[in-house]
Amino acid sequence: MSTSIIKTENLTKIYSGNIKAVDNASFEVEEEEIYGFLGPNGAGKTTTILMLITLLKPTSGRATVCGFDITKEQAKVRSSIGYVSQDTAVDENLTGRENLLLQGHFYHLPKEVLEKRIDEVLEMVDLTDRANSLVSTYSGGMRKRLDIAEGLIHRPRVLFVDEPTLGLDIQTRHKIWEYIQRLREEAHMTIFLTTHYMDEADKLCDRISIIDYGQIKVVGEPNELKSQIGGDIITLKFTNETNSYTNQALAEIKKLSSIENIVPTKDSFSVVAKDGETTVPKIFEVAGKAGATIESISLKRPTLDDVFMAHTGRELREETSNKEDLMKERIRIRRVRM
Amino acid sequence: MSVLGDIWNVCWRELKRFRRQPARILMSIVQPIIWLALLGNMMQAITPMLGSGVKSYLDYMAPGIVVMTTIFGGVFGGLSVVWDRRLGFLNKMLAAPISRSAIPIGKMIASSLISSIQATLILCAAIVMGVNVATGPLGIVAVVLIAMILCLMLSGISLALGAVIKSHETLMVVMNFLTMPLMFTSNALFPKSLMPGWLQTIADWNPITHTITPIRTITTQGWEWALILPDVGAIIVMTLAVIAVATLVFKRSIS
Repeated sequence: MSTSIIKTENLTKIYSGNIKAVDNASFEVEEEEIYGFLGPNGAGKTTTILMLITLLKPTSGRATVCGFDITKEQAKVRSSIGYVSQDTAVDENLTGRENLLLQGHFYHLPKEVLEKRIDEVLEMVDLTDRANSLVSTYSGGMRKRLDIAEGLIHRPRVLFVDEPTLGLDIQTRHKIWEYIQRLREEAHMTIFLTTHYMDEADKLCDRISIIDYGQIKVVGEPNELKSQIGGDIITLKFTNETNSYTNQALAEIKKLSSIENIVPTKDSFSVVAKDGETTVPKIFEVAGKAGATIESISLKRPTLDDVFMAHTGRELREETSNKEDLMKERIRIRRVRM
Repeated sequence: MSVLGDIWNVCWRELKRFRRQPARILMSIVQPIIWLALLGNMMQAITPMLGSGVKSYLDYMAPGIVVMTTIFGGVFGGLSVVWDRRLGFLNKMLAAPISRSAIPIGKMIASSLISSIQATLILCAAIVMGVNVATGPLGIVAVVLIAMILCLMLSGISLALGAVIKSHETLMVVMNFLTMPLMFTSNALFPKSLMPGWLQTIADWNPITHTITPIRTITTQGWEWALILPDVGAIIVMTLAVIAVATLVFKRSIS
């Protein structure tokens, strides 16, 4: 038997109007892994989750979760998974404890177990002292924590978390990451999450799939994916870009053994080098010998953004705003709604 | 029985939510009381036309107002499913291993229970204003139970529409559009015998009429079973049919 707890084969969802939201997605998630789907909004991340948690029927392809078929054994899938949606769907008119009680009842937990479990998950997300307050008095981060706690109440083997930190501030995001990591360590849970934040995928996930327009572009460990870029990224700017000394210097730099690639950008050069730290002094040395003067130089490790760029040809970062706006609008609606 | 448990859980949530919104309870009964006070006095002059046994128009209209309260409670029963969908709570419930039917049925029962509280309060207010209930405390219980059946039916219709419409604005408009005609084509405020023929035909088919007639018999005449049972039987059958259809429509809307 394999250790894959989630396994999909050519999973495809075509919405009416011939929109291919998920296109032949095949992947496997191993037990006790934090697996991330990284991609821009509309890439098909949520659609994939909804299919895996049995709320959406795939158009074609198949998938198993905990060994159960998502179309033929829906009840068994539902009992063995937890789902934390990107909507932070906690009931404002109930207290934190009441929300958990309701969730526990939905999963048919016996009363004695439920009482203990509620205290346990409340403690896990540090909400014990606010458990009896109405959720309408909670901050955004507290709501998300409660939402995650609800997903844990029945100790699922797999927890699906859709955009865990959408619309939250930096400190709260780090907190949520800690909770998710703790979950895996303490509860030995497998966690499948989606995100459009590359730092989230990078910090949190053991392995990620980069998904764009419904297609999985590449799968791997974040570090491995970044190292596939071929090295560090050195941005180099000369005082005088076009003179012969500069050209001479560039030719010499190219000859260095650690250099993978040099690409001219608007007013500088982007250099991919295997070993950035030791390459930078060498560049100075070679440029100096050639008589060129370097105005500025910077070194950075490749990010998942660079990985995304390499596999899709476009940047991930630009498109984040509209979903956050939507989230803010939702929060406004809730306030108005009473 | 896990289905019954699921229904109760869905229902429990709605009841808790209701209890936390005292303004909603208050507003839901203030308006009918104003109607009672205003119309009850305004229309006093038509009392002799209402038939034998009716001592005042207020006695006559009180059942109509009780039912009106249940109508308002029922027609907005579908809103909660629209909100749950919009705010993601519906998906949360659906991701859990609960019976799909439990969601609409639990919500219908919750609106019905809530309306029973409102109906009781209105009836008590009417009694304070001088309305006489011929059958006493037991009659009050019977009136409230009949009103609850109607509320189940209307919230079922509202819920089925809500499952299809998916927008709370549209649902509000549609249900508002239904409420007043339902009221005024029934014998809620005006005796059927004084209506023109075509309106009588409509009133005969209007479930509101079949709710008000037995309630009115109970409050103004007494336990006249021959007058009560056929109408109550009719609305029970209609309600069961609506519940079945609404549950089906809901289940379709989520698959």
